Formats: sequence, structure tokens, C-alpha cells
Amino acid sequence: MKLKVCGMKYNPGEVAALQPDYLGFIFWEKSPRSFDGEIPKLPPGIKKVGVFVNASLDEVVAKIKEYHLQAVQLHGSESPEFCKELKQYNFQEPIQIIKVFSIKDDFNFDELKPYESVCDYYLFDTKGKLPGGNGYTFDWKVLKGYPSIKPYFLSGGIGLEEIESLREFMKRPEAKYCHTIDVNSRFELEPGLKNIQKLKEFKKGLMKDEINMPSSLGERPVRGPYHANEKGYYGEFGGAFIPEMLYPNTEELRQNYVRIMEEPSFKQEFDQLLKDYVGRPTPLYFADRLSEKYGAKIYLKREDLCHTGAHKVNNTIGQILMAKKLGKNRIIAETGAGQHGVATATVCALMGIECVVYMGKIDIARQAPNVARMKMLGAEVRPALSGSRTLKDATNEAIRDWINNPVDTHYIIGSVVGPHPYPDMVARFQSVISEEIKWQLKEKEGRENPDYVVACVGGGSNAAGAYYHYLDNGDVGIIAVEAAGKGIDSGESAATSALGKVGIIHGSKTLLMQTQDGQITEPYSISAGLDYPGVGPMHAHLFRSGRGEFISITDDEAMTAGLEVAKLEGIIPAIETSHAFAIFDHKKFKKDDIVVINLSGRGDKDLDTYIDYFGL
Amino acid sequence: MNRINKKLQEDGKLLSIYFTAGYPNLDDTVKIIGELEKHGVDMIEIGLPFSDPLADGPTIQESSTAALKNGMTTEILFEQLKDIRKTISIPLIIMGYFNPVLQYGVEAFCKKCMEIGIDGLILPDLPFDVYQEEYESIFKKYGLLNTFLITPQTSDERIFQIDGASEGFIYMVSSASTTGAKQGFGAEQQDYFKRIASLHLKNPQIVGFGISNSETFVQATEKAKGAIIGSAFIKHLTQNGVDSIANFIKSIRC
Ligand SMILES: Cc1ncc(COP(=O)(O)O)c(C=O)c1O
Repeated sequence: MKLKVCGMKYNPGEVAALQPDYLGFIFWEKSPRSFDGEIPKLPPGIKKVGVFVNASLDEVVAKIKEYHLQAVQLHGSESPEFCKELKQYNFQEPIQIIKVFSIKDDFNFDELKPYESVCDYYLFDTKGKLPGGNGYTFDWKVLKGYPSIKPYFLSGGIGLEEIESLREFMKRPEAKYCHTIDVNSRFELEPGLKNIQKLKEFKKGLMKDEINMPSSLGERPVRGPYHANEKGYYGEFGGAFIPEMLYPNTEELRQNYVRIMEEPSFKQEFDQLLKDYVGRPTPLYFADRLSEKYGAKIYLKREDLCHTGAHKVNNTIGQILMAKKLGKNRIIAETGAGQHGVATATVCALMGIECVVYMGKIDIARQAPNVARMKMLGAEVRPALSGSRTLKDATNEAIRDWINNPVDTHYIIGSVVGPHPYPDMVARFQSVISEEIKWQLKEKEGRENPDYVVACVGGGSNAAGAYYHYLDNGDVGIIAVEAAGKGIDSGESAATSALGKVGIIHGSKTLLMQTQDGQITEPYSISAGLDYPGVGPMHAHLFRSGRGEFISITDDEAMTAGLEVAKLEGIIPAIETSHAFAIFDHKKFKKDDIVVINLSGRGDKDLDTYIDYFGL
Repeated sequence: MNRINKKLQEDGKLLSIYFTAGYPNLDDTVKIIGELEKHGVDMIEIGLPFSDPLADGPTIQESSTAALKNGMTTEILFEQLKDIRKTISIPLIIMGYFNPVLQYGVEAFCKKCMEIGIDGLILPDLPFDVYQEEYESIFKKYGLLNTFLITPQTSDERIFQIDGASEGFIYMVSSASTTGAKQGFGAEQQDYFKRIASLHLKNPQIVGFGISNSETFVQATEKAKGAIIGSAFIKHLTQNGVDSIANFIKSIRC
């Protein structure tokens, strides 16, 4: 969370020494804090904001030039056209425009619309006698339903006493785009003379971890015991076991991914696409009939309602933006069932970037509709002909392609697998799932934490997203559901935690199914998306450490559960997800347990399998 | 002194041959090694086949799949090689992916190599820093040289690091590619060969990937100490069997 201190007059130098992010200088003569002195040289990183009330364009321009302002805050009834003119004015450095809106008990968000494209930030202030500086707060609940993704400043009478309520506010969904806290009159000895001691205290309170800006990408890297460390290890699992030929590619990504994900412009574009293109937030739905049947409060996180029908697109949106930032002009991906291939082809079409998807020859034959989708979206589907000609071989082929094209190509991996930084990067892109669950559950149940989060695990990306913000919270039980295929001991299974041993697959040290000799074996599951011989290193660690409870579900159990959800809730789940619905015979819950099941995808792609299985 | 170091001190350019153990037939290993030494090859890389060889092109992939189908395992390979030092004196290196070594047990694997008389290992997906932190002491204990790869994309800084940590030769991957991919060397590769030569590394370099005939062998060894041929040799085995190895070697060293 950033801090702006406004109304500089007598001691701006002293305030600057506290390193706030913005200093505000009021250029409105009627204000007791009106500024006309000289601005001392400020430490780097502090932006100078000029505050104006219905000044003319010439006046504003003159002040910007005279004081080398980086931002202007418009407190009067400046029109969108005025903002636009200012925005387009040819300054040496681009100027940021903050448009102020005053709120009393109510606010019509339609007022924002004309300003969406012509200003950089909004500022919400208390409506009172004066244009700003009234000294009391407005009811921040008014911001509930904030319809925009433009970052905003929260202002109006905020003092030391507000730290607690700010902390509460920051947990709410409407605080997601709250960018800066703006303070002024409550930190003064007299108008224009700031109380340094009080400011110091406030800044300290504001910077405490809890009062962090919630964002899909997290404000700073999370480094709990169940998150990746700097080298990409989750406990003993992870790392980057790659041949030297891949070193430059992964190293470029490793050095840049956190920085890029934390850039405000990146966050904004990511959030915008998730909202407008993917359709987020996805609902958290209370499954009444399922709850009644199984005697627990069951909520479904509706990732099936994402564009393209599964959670996979959260990751591909993130990675395509990452690829653009890295200046790549060609995308490769692997796919098993075709879900990730379609999600990748989709974002490549969206961005107009060349796309090659590797897919096992055998999968191409059994997933014809998704092959056709990828082609319609303009992607080239290349058959993987080596080895067992399924997902693991498609992944090998994609890696080989990357070795051969180290400079211009980005590899969009489809799950939390592969060499560091992929597992961590993909988990962060998917973490929007649990971020939303937190506030949605708070709205519905008055608490952020369910008793259990349940997800199916192939490579583990939908699960990683659903667990992410709960990993370090021991009150929340983590249940991972794997595919047992025809049974753990049948020789036809994909239950990696039960059958796997520590080894290296696709550049990551993790649990994988292999022969005694270290040859990777071919898994089996009725669901193509769970048909992977390994599991992401995060999940290997959750299993080994006991933090996660792992349950394996057979083809038959999954299919039966999928049909039941269709009949009880009117939702046909992807067969991957159906595995997660089959846990109730294996795990008993208490009546008031809140259980969130991540509904990772919809079943349209699986209709043929359902038809064959049930003879529909 | 390790056989590899001794060989590197000899005059002339070194020809090293890679083959996949267990291919074309499960029991060809000893015969192939014998033929290669007999016809003047300087060093041999014995490929331990892996199900998912992600740095390899189609030729080595197919030979690995076939070798595994023939029944090759780490245990069997060691069994085949147990008396190899009774007849063979040139350096022998085992080249493979890390996972089979990890499953055998890194220390047990290294110990077995020493007992047989293997001189070194090349494990492309065992990263340099992990090797240094976890395994270097084990390799040293059993007198094994570990060889690292560099590519045209490897930074000078990293090359110097790798050079510092190496005690035999540096495996110079000729271009950004999987094995067997390129036909001949263009200006870009020549520049890369010159650039590396100008770094005056302490370890000699041996070039691999994309060397298929006498012409590319000569180009690759203009600056470097030697070159490794893999895919082209395996193709030759596929087409002509193990009895015409002499012809292949003659065609390179004409
Ligand atoms: C709907 C759905 N759920 C789950 C998965 C499994 O992948 P992950 O474990 O990475 O979420 C897939 C993969 O294709 C999928 O399509």
C-alpha cells in the first residue's frame, strides 16, 4: 500500500525524509495550505503531486513545468475533455492524472465512466463544505461494488485512529484496487505544518504485512514453508534440472518473472483481461442439494465458467502477457486432452502471436474436437511421435522445440510442473482462485477460511490456485484428489502420490511414476487431464510433509460422481473435476464444515466419454 | 592420471563416438566398443538409454526407445561392461540423463563406474550448481570426471565458471539445438568456435551435436581439441549393422 501526504507547506523536507510515495502541493489560493514557496530537492522515488481546483489548463501546465510535477490531482469539476487535453499535452515526462470524486453517503459509479480512459487514478474523498480537507472520513462501504479496475486513492479525514478500520477494509474485495492512502489534516500541528511523529507511526502501521494491497498477483513474493524458495524448491522438491541448452531461456524467465508480475501495468492488464475476457470473478456457489446429501456446507468455485471452460486460461493469459513483456513473438505449448492447448491457442489469437501446440499422436486421435478448436484459433498442432506419444512426450517435444528456438520463443507450460520458475509462476497466476474464494466466502459466511479446500490434481495447477492463499493457514484442510484409474494396484493408474518415487521429470525434482530403473512410465486415467506421470513439486511437498491429504479415485467412482453432480446441481463437470466430487465415500465431514470444491472445468469436452460410459 | 586427461595431452585431434547401449541389439555393447577402439577412435561415450531424452533429436530418441525395448537396464549395462578393461584401454564415459543415476543411487553408481574402469560421466540435466553442492565430492571419491556443456547462448561469465569447475574437457554444443539437428556449420557456428577459442580456457573443448562426416569433423576441430559424433554413427549402425564400423570411422578420418 502506498502513502500520499498532502498539504505540504512549512516542512516538506521533513516529511520527505519519511519516504512517502507521494507529496501533495495544493495550488488553490483559498486553501490555508496553498503552496507558493520552493520545493526542496526530494529523495528519489517520491512523486510530486500538484492539487488544483478548477484551474485553467494554462495555470496547471505552468505549475507542472515550474515545479516539475509528476502528477496532478484535480479537485474541482474538471471535465473529461480537460483531463484528456492535459494528458495529451507534450510534457517532457508523462504526467499522471488523478481525478477526485467526493462521496457522502452514496455514490453513483456511473460518474466514473467518462473518466475511465482519460485519467490514471481516481481519488475518493469525503464530501463536505470544502473541496478536500474536511477532516472526517466517509463510509468506505460505499465503495462496495466498485466497478472499475483503475487503481484509486482513498482519502478524506484519515488519521491514526483509522489504522484498524483500514486493515479491515483492505481485506474486502473493493479494496483490491485501492492503491494509495492519502492523508492530510489529521496529521498536523497547524494547517500546513505536519506532525512528523504521527506520520511515522501511521506509516509503520500501514506497512505492516496485513495491510497489504490484495491483488491477483500478490504485492510481494510469498515465501511461506509451502511456497517456492528463491531457487524454486518446495521442501526437497522442485529446482531446475535442465540441460545447459535450456539454461538461458529459463534463466531469463527466472530473473524477470517476479519483477514483471509486480509491475502495476502488468497487474492492471492481467486483471482487466481476467475480468473482461475470462469473465472473472467466477462465482462461489453454495451447492444446496449436494450439501444436503453429504451433510456438509459445500461450495463450488465455478472455474468451469471461465472462457474456454476451465481454469487453464488464467495461466495462459498471464503467460502470454509475460511473453510480450519479454519480447517473444512465438509461443509453444504442450497439451494432453487439448484443454491447455485450446487455452493457449485462444490467448495467441487474442494477441496475434504465432502458436505451435505439441500433442501426442494418440491424443490427437482421441481428442478431435479440441484439435479442431486449436486449428480454428489459428494454432498449428504438431504431433508428438516419440515414446508413448501422449502428454509426457508432447512435453518433451515442446522442450526440444524450445532448445532449438532459444531467443524468440516462449514456452507456455500448462500446469505447475517443469523447471523453476514455472511451478511458482503458474501457481501465482492461478492464485486468483483462492484470492476470490477468500472474499466470496467472507461475504457468504462471514469468514475467509473454509474448513477444507478440495481439488483434483493432474499436474496440479487448479489445485495450486485453490490452495494458494490457504497454504500457510493450518486451519484450512487441503485435500488433493488423484486419479486411480482402474485401481491403484491395477497397473493402470495415475495416482502419483501413491505410486510415485522421487525423481526428475521435465526439469523438476518431484514424485513420479517410474520403473525401478528410473524410466518414466505411462500413466492411465479415463480423464486425459489427470493422465500425467508426475505431479508439481508443490504437491509432492504437500504430500510428503503431511500438509495435504491425498485421496485417489477410480474411473468408476469419478464417472458416477460426475453424473450425480449433473443430476443434483445441473452442472456437468469435466471428468477431471468429477474425481474431486467422488471424495465423499472416502472422507467424512461434519455437518457445519465448510468445504470448497474447485470446479476446475466443464464437461462439454468429455461428452463422448460420458456417452460411451453410461450408454447415453 | 585419469585416462581422459592423458588422452587430452596427446597431439592431434580427438575423435569421440557416442552410441546408445543396447542398440541395435541388447548385447552389442562390448562388440561396438571393441570395434571402435580397433579402428582408432580416441574416446567413447556409452549412452545409458532413458525413456524421456529431452535434449536429443529423433535418431537418439529412437535408438533409446529401441534399447529399452530390447531390455537394457543400468544393471545389465554394468554387467556387460564388467570385464571391459581386460581388452579396452581408451577412455570410456557414460552419458545419460540424471534420473536413472538417481534411482540407482548416485554413490552406488559412481562406485560401480570406478570398479569397471569408467573414466567420467556426462549428465546433461544435472545442473552445474546442484553438482557442486551435492555430488562433486562423491564423483571425486571415485575418480570420475564430470563434464559440463556450454552452448552458443552460454554467457562468458558462466563459461569461465564452468571452466573453473571442470578438470577434463568442456563439451561444446555446436548450436542451439537437440542432437543430430543441423547439416553443416555456417558462419554463426564458426564465429562461436572462434569466440570460445579466444577465451583461452584452461580445459580443452570437444565439440558435439551436428557432426556427421569428415567435413564437419574438420570444421569443428579447427580450433577445438576434438569432436563427438553420435546421431550419424547411430544412423550408420541402423543401416549397416555393427560389422561395418570400420567403414564409418574411415569415412571420418580420411
Ligand atoms: C478441467 C480440468 N481440471 C483439471 C485438470 C488437471 O490439470 P491441473 O492439475 O494442472 O489443474 C485439467 C487438465 O487438462 C482440466 O482440463
